[in-house]
Amino acid sequence: MTELRRAFGAPLSALIVFLAGVWILGLIAAPQIIMIEQSFWTMQRPEGAAELSVRIDALYNRLDVLALDHAAAADDAARAAIDAERVEVQGEITALEAQESTPVKTWTLSNYAQMGQAHLAIFAKTILASLAVTAIAFVVCYPIAFAIAKLEPPRRAAMIMLALVVPYAINELLRVFAWQMILNYSGPLNAALGLVGIGPIPFLESGTGVFVAMVYAYILFMVFPLYNVLETLDTNQIEAARDLGAGPLQIHRRVVLPHARPGIAVGCIMTFMLSAGSYAVPYIMTRGTADPWFTQLVYNRFFQATNWNVGAAYALSLLVVCTGFIFVMMRLLKVRLKDIAK
Amino acid sequence: MSGRGSGLILRVYMALFFVYMFLPLGIMVVAGFNAYSPPSVTVWQGFSLQWFGELWADERMRSGLRNSLIIAGSVIALALPMGLAGALLLGRLGARAAGLLYTLMVSPLLTPGIILGISTVIFWRNFDVAGGLFTAILAQTTFVASYAMLMFMARLQRQDATLEEAARDLGATPLQAFRRITLPFLRPTIATAAVIAFLQSFENYNTTMFAIGGQHTLVTEIGSRMRFGLSPVVNVIGILFIIATITCAVVWAILKERERGAANGASA
Amino acid sequence: MTVSARGMEITLSAAAVRFGDFQAVHPTDLTIRAGEFFSILGPSGCGKTTILRLVSGFLDPSEGDVLIGGRSMRGIAPSDRPTALIFQNLALFPLMPVWENVAFGLEMRGWSKARRRARAIELLTMVALGDHADKLPSELSGGQRQRVAIARALAVEPAVLLLDEPLSALDLKLRQHMRTELKQLQRETGITFVYITHDQGEALTMSDRVAVMNAGRLVQLGTADDLYDRPANAFVATFVGETNRLTGRIDAVEGKRARIATPEGPFVAPNPAGLGVGNHAFLFLRPERLHVLTEGDSRANMLAGRLVRRDMEGAFSTLVIDTGQSHVTVHRVNGGDAPLVEGAVSLGFSQDAGVILPLGETAND
Repeated sequence: MTELRRAFGAPLSALIVFLAGVWILGLIAAPQIIMIEQSFWTMQRPEGAAELSVRIDALYNRLDVLALDHAAAADDAARAAIDAERVEVQGEITALEAQESTPVKTWTLSNYAQMGQAHLAIFAKTILASLAVTAIAFVVCYPIAFAIAKLEPPRRAAMIMLALVVPYAINELLRVFAWQMILNYSGPLNAALGLVGIGPIPFLESGTGVFVAMVYAYILFMVFPLYNVLETLDTNQIEAARDLGAGPLQIHRRVVLPHARPGIAVGCIMTFMLSAGSYAVPYIMTRGTADPWFTQLVYNRFFQATNWNVGAAYALSLLVVCTGFIFVMMRLLKVRLKDIAK
Repeated sequence: MSGRGSGLILRVYMALFFVYMFLPLGIMVVAGFNAYSPPSVTVWQGFSLQWFGELWADERMRSGLRNSLIIAGSVIALALPMGLAGALLLGRLGARAAGLLYTLMVSPLLTPGIILGISTVIFWRNFDVAGGLFTAILAQTTFVASYAMLMFMARLQRQDATLEEAARDLGATPLQAFRRITLPFLRPTIATAAVIAFLQSFENYNTTMFAIGGQHTLVTEIGSRMRFGLSPVVNVIGILFIIATITCAVVWAILKERERGAANGASA
Repeated sequence: MTVSARGMEITLSAAAVRFGDFQAVHPTDLTIRAGEFFSILGPSGCGKTTILRLVSGFLDPSEGDVLIGGRSMRGIAPSDRPTALIFQNLALFPLMPVWENVAFGLEMRGWSKARRRARAIELLTMVALGDHADKLPSELSGGQRQRVAIARALAVEPAVLLLDEPLSALDLKLRQHMRTELKQLQRETGITFVYITHDQGEALTMSDRVAVMNAGRLVQLGTADDLYDRPANAFVATFVGETNRLTGRIDAVEGKRARIATPEGPFVAPNPAGLGVGNHAFLFLRPERLHVLTEGDSRANMLAGRLVRRDMEGAFSTLVIDTGQSHVTVHRVNGGDAPLVEGAVSLGFSQDAGVILPLGETAND
């Protein structure tokens, strides 16, 4: 802090700390903490609600009795006494009723337990499918990234990467839309298959569509980190290995892949996170005809079932899985956060 | 590198990859000019620009675009100062504190977008603020500021620390030194960060969808249209996006080329 | 000695390399003898690295052939040639500990881990790095990394070691030390060393023979003494060592010598190219072959001038003499009995001190 003040002076330091503070505490930390907090409680009818309603019933009976008494009352004094009691009982009823209907905030794990067999299956399916998307993206992209980074002349490589920016920069929804057209029941793919006597196949309705579109939508998040890291590999390293007798596989296993670790980590983390957290792709591709993705369950908890506590619990489960994946990748590939975020 | 044969295989493979990347976009473009609806390339009813006209007349798309621009402008105004403050702070902290802070500041990039949207809405509901443009702006700022921070940090690491010291030595106050030395040095990054922030905000779907409540942006509107069947109007938007992207890429390439030319001219 | 290898002969037979329109190496014939320390010297872009890549197998000749040990190398992969390459930037694998670097070639040949580690330690001990086997390359100093690269190349028992300016990243002191080490290593192993450099000091001190290249052509091949004392052309005369260049016209030829008329005066010098009377030519004079004459002293060739500068270089001084036509550089040994020079001086040199060569490209053009 003193270092900060010495570098920027007191007013500027104060502004810096204020802005960074609002961002880190107000935008990043607080909402997450509130979400976590929210996932651990629920509003319930207060304890002893049953006894309360018995008492309220009893008080209503008393009111009825008092009304009869009032009608039968002999003089004004007795009537006034009864009136006073009626007011008192009425007040007590109001208070008790309020107590009975005001839910109490109760700490609980039940929001998580709500995830029944069906939802748990969707959760697992979402994660497994996202892992598969990640694996496919890596297998497809590694040769591409290597070929562009190490086999093309530098200027051509730059042009190729620039060309790839076009599909990368086009909105995710539109990329998905293109595949929705292609895989449609009456789309060009089925038309082409029809020519050779196959199909038509209901790709969209079977859930295949989600998978295909997801690979397409997120594959470039694998290409770019891999390319960036492979571009920094000294070609002499490859030649040295070759000179010492290494074959193509050995070169990749011992020299290229170890060097590419940070890029692999970034690519896998991004692809996995985007797939597992994807709302657009399943939402658009299935149009509700196939099993939903976990994110859709989360959305439904919030905006259809409007149970925000359960929604928070679901969202947090997803966050935990994604964070866990990041840790596993960092461990497995022996990279640090600094290597990842660039 | 490897033998001639495997080189050929790799080239064919790369060509296939490019077909895979670009063919779907091509199909989308072609269908946008087809008079037939739903969008199709298999049934051709003649070249038509009618969907462009329909897009222009679409009130919800227009209001969505307006909301998108409002959000993007606000996100730039918030995220850039915050990201810069974060980057400046990082450079002046001890290793341990900086490590913790860094983790916090990049965490939004490693968090699924929907979670950022959800947590913002949950948070603000406690203050009786419902989902809308305001929450969408805050939710997007959370992660856009992370991008800005990383970009500013990379630039600051390349700054020659002695320049600021020289200014101070010549009698500049810290504020003057910052304004005259550091800020001009950061100017190109400010421009790039603004462009990136705009794109991130404008194109965002996941976070916005969860944070925006009953309002809509251009992109969330596109999303809900797709849900209810295909419309060539969406193809037209795709065509416009592609044109914009290619234009940006070409401009960027030309600028880069000119820069290289200038550098060569200077050295020759 | 733990490295047992015998050097092999390398022959380039009309080998040429073209990249598109660019002729990187013109057809070249060259024989590098088995077991010799051979340097290829030249300015950057002269084609020396291309020749190294031809021999190592990362490049195929566009024409001609490369033979190692009498065997044509056409179509033989780098890994299957009896060569090992030391890269300019060393290309040590940064993520592998030192011993794995050294043992990499053995790993590729399927040696067991225990065997290759033992062998790596043996080699590392040979280059005095036995204690550093488990460190990462980044933890070593420049000179140590150099030795790791050498050990790694020697591990595959090559008959030819190809070195691509491996000392260029080191500081001066270390560079000089490594020259001695390399030379000694070459003697001990008997391997053929092919050493690429643009640093004439390295080439002259270490090599048995040196090939000088310029613009894709081999311009002279010989021992260090040949190149320095008997340059074959203007390029070598100016590229190797310091020299003074005078330009004139030959007006007399006497046997192996000729007399050249220059603005500074007429001088007699060897005429190895056999130039005839009337030819325009260069006269090259090494600074240390010029003597400052004292009163009454005389030489076959003499010229007069004024001292304009004296730079103290330690063992000798560099004197810059203005002859009225040009500036001539003279190296003069510093010693007790050599009086200081001031003002007008008279310089002399013997009839065998200079060399007359045809006009042509020089290294400083």
